[in-house]
Amino acid sequence: MLKSILYKEWIKIRLVVWIALGLGLLALINIFLKVRHDILFVDAANYWYSFLFRGYTYFSILKFLPFVIGLAVAIAQYFPETVNKRLKLTFHLPVSENGILIKMHAFGAVILLALFLVLLGLFTAGSAIFFPSNIIRASLLTILPWFLGGMATYFLVALILLEPMWIFRGLYTAVAAGFVTIFFTSASIGAFSPVLLPLTLITLVLSCVVLFSGYRFRKGEM
Amino acid sequence: MYAIECKNLTHYYGKKLVYENLSFNVEEGKILGLLGKNGTGKSTTINILNGFLQPFSGECLIYGENTQTLTPETKRRIGFLIEGHIQYSFMNIHQIEKFYSGFYPDWNSAPYWELMSKLKVTPKQRISTMSCGQRSQVALGLILAQNPDLLILDDFSMGLDPGYRRLFIDYMREYAKAEHKTVFVTSHIIQDMERLIDDVMIMDYNKILAQQPVEQFMNTFRQFNITLTSPQQEVDLDGIAVNIEKVKDKIEFYTYSTEDEVKNYLASKGIDYSSFEERKMSLEDAFIGLTRKY
Repeated sequence: MLKSILYKEWIKIRLVVWIALGLGLLALINIFLKVRHDILFVDAANYWYSFLFRGYTYFSILKFLPFVIGLAVAIAQYFPETVNKRLKLTFHLPVSENGILIKMHAFGAVILLALFLVLLGLFTAGSAIFFPSNIIRASLLTILPWFLGGMATYFLVALILLEPMWIFRGLYTAVAAGFVTIFFTSASIGAFSPVLLPLTLITLVLSCVVLFSGYRFRKGEM
Repeated sequence: MYAIECKNLTHYYGKKLVYENLSFNVEEGKILGLLGKNGTGKSTTINILNGFLQPFSGECLIYGENTQTLTPETKRRIGFLIEGHIQYSFMNIHQIEKFYSGFYPDWNSAPYWELMSKLKVTPKQRISTMSCGQRSQVALGLILAQNPDLLILDDFSMGLDPGYRRLFIDYMREYAKAEHKTVFVTSHIIQDMERLIDDVMIMDYNKILAQQPVEQFMNTFRQFNITLTSPQQEVDLDGIAVNIEKVKDKIEFYTYSTEDEVKNYLASKGIDYSSFEERKMSLEDAFIGLTRKY
């Protein structure tokens, strides 16, 4: 049964996942080609200095990519379930309703996390070619909230899409927009370090809220 | 033994009462057709049966389990056709068969592939690009492969042309009778029901008007047409008729009384008529006779 559930979810999101991976790779190639170009024309020490003391970030192109990917994966996975209330088919399958929703959601989250880890890994590897470890660490601390924001976007968009009432969808969207914005607030390098743990914990809590929409759907809210 | 038992169902949408203290049962092995005009609560009933709506009060049991808390074992025994033959249309016919087969240990793909072989679709064609008729065959094939004990079919005829409707009905009737399946079905096209169902349940706003074997209903519910000798004559048929249509001197009325009972009633009320005729009805005529045209 688990295999069947994962099979269906993969069919829904695979195209988006491959496109997201492609876009991520293109963004990374773009970043490191530009870094190489700049280091050739400005010497490395000056380039590092601009990063450490003048707030120049070589990876700003990455900023909204996790948000877009999280949004796209959530829509690809959950929008087909809402068209014609197809979620009824899913909840009619001979498994527990919460159980199947948890498995679907966990699959989407794991795929998204894997995608983000691949991009973060390649970013770290690419950075290691050009920068010392303290710059890499500061860079990672700066982009981690963006990727965390991508995960939060995925969880919140799932909550919004599966919610059966438009008025609640609107309400959730307003709250979600306010919350997700926090992850992408413009800040200096590494400024989010102190709140990274609380943001991670809140995002973990958000991973479960889709169950509330599933419950409301099953109770026939309309 | 009942496959479905609904007891004292009451439901509201906001302040609007859908029905109050509605009770009905469906015997195992029977095909029951739920008929009703738009807004009488057919979809509400289907949603309660499938656990997608919690009634204001009362309960429905399927194989003895409350439909709000069906176990996976009981859900495995129920085949569900959503209005409009909704399926996972982002899949093709191979993917969807592979997906569903993982949930049902007794999955029998033979009837599914038999139906699919009649469709002119390519192996990789998505269900979303198929015609409504083709999609109905996919949905039907999946239910047959699931081999459930109870089939709940919500407005199966929606969007189907006459050929596909006939194919669907004939297949379903033969399958249900051969395999002793219970079927709970709704449809807007009542002439289709006549070929399919054993029992009929007719709903009106807030209540059930009739629930009995369709043959018994058709034998006991009658339409009479009379022509009055004087159009001005006051006519009181409330004692026998469930529905009366009067145009000038012509009266068309529907009743559970026999011809003799009607004639005796007319005589007792002093109603003079120049012609008297019992008209043979189809199930659709009887449905309209019972629920009125508007």
